[in-house]
Amino acid sequence: MEGSTSRSTSFHGFLHRMRHPSSIDLVRAIKSFIVSFSFYQPKPENDGKRVQDFFLSMEVAIRNHPLWETATEEDIDCAMEGLEKYIMTKLFSRTFTTSLEDSKIDQEISEKISLLQTFLKPEHLDIQPVLHNEASWLLAEKELQKMNAFKAPQEKLSSIMNCCRVINNLLLNAAMSEHVPAGADDFLPVLIYVTIKANPPNLHSNLKFIKLYRRQTKLISEAEYYFTNLVSSKTFITDLNAKSLSMDETKFEECMQAAKLAKKVTNELHSTSQMKQQEKNESNFSNKMHNKLDARVFHVLQQGSNYPYMEAKSKDLAMEDVEILLHQYKDLVVKYTILCKAINCLSVSEKEPLLLQLKMQGVDTHTNDQTNSHRDISQ
Amino acid sequence: MGCGYSLPDRDSRQLGRPNSENGGGQDAKNLRVKLVLLGDSGVGKSCIVLRFVRGQFDPTSKVTVGASFLSQTIALQDSTTVKFEIWDTAGQERYAALAPLYYRGAAVAVIVYDITSPESFSKAQYWVKELQKHGSPDIVMALVGNKADLHEKREVAVQDGMDYAEKNGMFFIETSAKTADNINELFEEIAKRLPRPVIT
Repeated sequence: MEGSTSRSTSFHGFLHRMRHPSSIDLVRAIKSFIVSFSFYQPKPENDGKRVQDFFLSMEVAIRNHPLWETATEEDIDCAMEGLEKYIMTKLFSRTFTTSLEDSKIDQEISEKISLLQTFLKPEHLDIQPVLHNEASWLLAEKELQKMNAFKAPQEKLSSIMNCCRVINNLLLNAAMSEHVPAGADDFLPVLIYVTIKANPPNLHSNLKFIKLYRRQTKLISEAEYYFTNLVSSKTFITDLNAKSLSMDETKFEECMQAAKLAKKVTNELHSTSQMKQQEKNESNFSNKMHNKLDARVFHVLQQGSNYPYMEAKSKDLAMEDVEILLHQYKDLVVKYTILCKAINCLSVSEKEPLLLQLKMQGVDTHTNDQTNSHRDISQ
Repeated sequence: MGCGYSLPDRDSRQLGRPNSENGGGQDAKNLRVKLVLLGDSGVGKSCIVLRFVRGQFDPTSKVTVGASFLSQTIALQDSTTVKFEIWDTAGQERYAALAPLYYRGAAVAVIVYDITSPESFSKAQYWVKELQKHGSPDIVMALVGNKADLHEKREVAVQDGMDYAEKNGMFFIETSAKTADNINELFEEIAKRLPRPVIT
């Protein structure tokens, strides 16, 4: 694959030739094709076919065009790369994630990955210790995350290739020093792990977009192989269950449960503090309390607490507060019990990141001694 | 486990390589063929390929991203060439369900087992059945018993491999990626068995 420099010069070369007076017929064809897209409702499979057919017909037109009379195969290829980039950039908003279904799949994958991120370790995918290399993984993750930022299919595909190249360099180095063969047995698990660590935005939609709109003659051989590996990685993550990992099945379920809970608590804190803010503004809830303790309550709210009675004094309470207090008390006990249960299922090494996350999200963790002593150790 | 050699050797035999990476390259005289490798992890799938493309495997090559996809062209006696594009697959059980993504559209499937491991032979039979059910109907299949150099540890008899292959209309060979025994023969035989496009 070409580097980004040669790609951008080829794109400028394409634009330059298109400005030539004799290109007017080509320019007209391109413009009318782009305009024709606005006549129809988006329909990914049809749209993909139409774009691919247009690429093929334009390739014929370019080959027969006087401007490319003496052109080499490489020149023609450059022109076609320029054309793909131009067309797909123009049609991007019309062709990328057009259905609700696709965005739903993207969201589901992303949410599942965010749960897996809280506990998944390289050992769970049997990644050999010699391939544990945080720096390489990070580099590969960054490449994969770039995919969503590009509009042209060739650039998105290139992000995948770069990610795979980083992983392969890691494999090659390991093969040289440790005499381990670096085949797919080693490659795929690392790619899956990197995908989980990266949680690349709109993974499903990006893969679908490349499949539909990358010039078909370019999604072959090596590019097709590595593209397929990322599709494979996505499929593995989507179908991942307790049996997919080198991990006790009960433990897996507990970890997923704990991750979901942590997420739920965080979300709830977020939404209740927003709700409280709203209620406060409307002054329809525990008026007296808020009026009297406004500054302090506000302080508590700032910290993300949803327990406005924290600093109230008994003389401030009225009969109508009892019902709310009781309700909040029950709610608190239920949440606390579930949370303790979930956290106690984890090992010390797993607790640490979770507690840290909760702490950063604004949950006060100094509620039990175990946590306190744990924090002391970690300091 | 290793391949018996750790580094690809750049100085050995160089086979002709088509100059164009893009384009179909699909004419009657020059075939481009997708070959998928299946088999348990540890049977030496990638070693076989590395051994086959050894003269060409260049870690500094711009084209080659890694060792799980490699290509190698061989010239046949009738002056045709076959360019194998070799797709390695992860052999661990947990990735078995992903295999269809890789063997879709493959013209050749090479199913590898380790002659010292009866489990890997059972796994090979599983792949044969799976391909018979879901692979493309005209796929060329080869059954390969690898690690043939480890005679003293053999647990799968040559005859068992041969019988199974014959029953299923497959080509059978025992190889050693370590000593390079039968590696070229494997790919040459596959090339001969490929259906030829009709010359018009």
